[in-house]
Amino acid sequence: MFTTTGDTATATTSHKVVLPFYLYAAIAFLVATVLLLLSANNITEHYFLPHTLAIVHIMALGWGTMIILGASHQLVPVLIEGKLYSDTLALLCFILAALGIPLLSYGFYVFDMGWPAQWGACLVVSAIVLYLVNLAMSMLQSKKENVHAVFIFTSALWLLTTATVGLLLLHNFTQPILSRNSLDYLALHAHFGIVGWFLLLVTGVGSRLIPMFLISKYGNDRQLWWIYGCINAGLLLFIYVFLYSGNRTLLLLPVLLVASGIVLFGNFCYKAYRQRIRKKVDEQMRLSLLSVAMMVLPVVFLVVIVGFLLVADKSQTRLAIAYGFIIFFGWITAIILGMTFKTLPFIVWNKVYHHLAGKGKTPNPKDLFSNVLFQWMGIAYLLGFVLFTAGIVAGHVFTLQLAAVLLITCSVLYNWNVLQLLLHKPDRT
Amino acid sequence: MNVISNNTLRATVALAALQHVVDPEIGLNVVDLGLIYQIDFDEAAKKVYCTMTLTTQFCPMGESITDAARTALQETFPGEDITVTLSFDPAWNHEMISEEGREFLNER
Repeated sequence: MFTTTGDTATATTSHKVVLPFYLYAAIAFLVATVLLLLSANNITEHYFLPHTLAIVHIMALGWGTMIILGASHQLVPVLIEGKLYSDTLALLCFILAALGIPLLSYGFYVFDMGWPAQWGACLVVSAIVLYLVNLAMSMLQSKKENVHAVFIFTSALWLLTTATVGLLLLHNFTQPILSRNSLDYLALHAHFGIVGWFLLLVTGVGSRLIPMFLISKYGNDRQLWWIYGCINAGLLLFIYVFLYSGNRTLLLLPVLLVASGIVLFGNFCYKAYRQRIRKKVDEQMRLSLLSVAMMVLPVVFLVVIVGFLLVADKSQTRLAIAYGFIIFFGWITAIILGMTFKTLPFIVWNKVYHHLAGKGKTPNPKDLFSNVLFQWMGIAYLLGFVLFTAGIVAGHVFTLQLAAVLLITCSVLYNWNVLQLLLHKPDRT
Repeated sequence: MNVISNNTLRATVALAALQHVVDPEIGLNVVDLGLIYQIDFDEAAKKVYCTMTLTTQFCPMGESITDAARTALQETFPGEDITVTLSFDPAWNHEMISEEGREFLNER
């Protein structure tokens, strides 16, 4: 009557591989917010400043990428319905990235594009190659094909492209190898990472996790393929316009395509929310859903920036800095803050209580961290985010400092809760 | 979805035991969640066969849930050999949640 699959369908990635990524990301977030405070008095001067570059790379790699790599090593089996190919490759990926990111960030911080930054970038690229190999081998082993797996693999390809271009730009600073100055390629490098890696991955994984956590009846692969098409077509068109067309008006086309992908994803999440079976939505899911709405903000900023370029023929430095800030500290951070406490408690619960399953009373995964701390963290985050964005646009240093303190508070509370989870021991009473 | 069994009386006892096995993420027991497909008994050989599913393949909590189900059945039928196997054909879907389960989720 039923086709049985045995125990292999429950095999998951070892917590020993996944947890270091979470811890590393939490510390990186704290470091980035502290640097934000230290740089608050000159952050609005230009986006190409040593400290700003360091903060951006700590946020993009140390925070966003590390936690996504950790979570995806855990979630890949769920997404592709097959085992992760190698825990050892995952661990090596962590070690290389963990060594590379501080070297790269240090290079930016002291504005030395020589060996620390170049070696750091090489290590990061190597880590990404290992991740990609692990992903490709896992997908080859899996019998099932699904849209989420295509999202995750394509986003990893974009991540590799981003890091490789970054490495080239670094070398180009000290030894010219490209036709133009490295600064001219920054927009390309940044958008490979923002759109190709973060946006594509968050939409691909989010479209699986959000309905799953809401226990929603909604699913629409056709819509997901459209989202996939819009985002990738937008990015490819952006490359073409950027490299081969001098017509700035055409820049609005890729913006429109990516914006359509975001709107479709928002619509997907809204329908999933409406058709949920579990009526109560917890704080972690609320913050994650808010992050989906926050995806619209950078698009609005981008349209204004491109508009200024077309009408007044001048770039808006503060708007460009605000655009970068609301991406890394906005929707990327919001979804990580929410999803950390939807995934990490289960990994820790499995580690600590797996052997006790069914043999006695065990706490629920959601009881392993403090929900009160989470709520305060959410308040500090939202206030800090709004104030810092306003501070950049207004160029008001005190507002920026105040907002940075709030963001530090948020990162301290986040770290506190993450440590509480990681150090959790079963109650012996 | 109704649970298939070759012994309705013993299956009722087994399901009562399995109602104490809860999916930690959802907070609902595996019976009302519709994860139990079939429970058969070989009384002569003292064997219990339980076929169940998970809400998703490679669910990170999957091993804990199947272990808990095995333990619950072992405590209910001491001295009998318990075999829990997973099936994803058919795959779990929301229609498999019982009325009681739906009421529970509506409240949460």
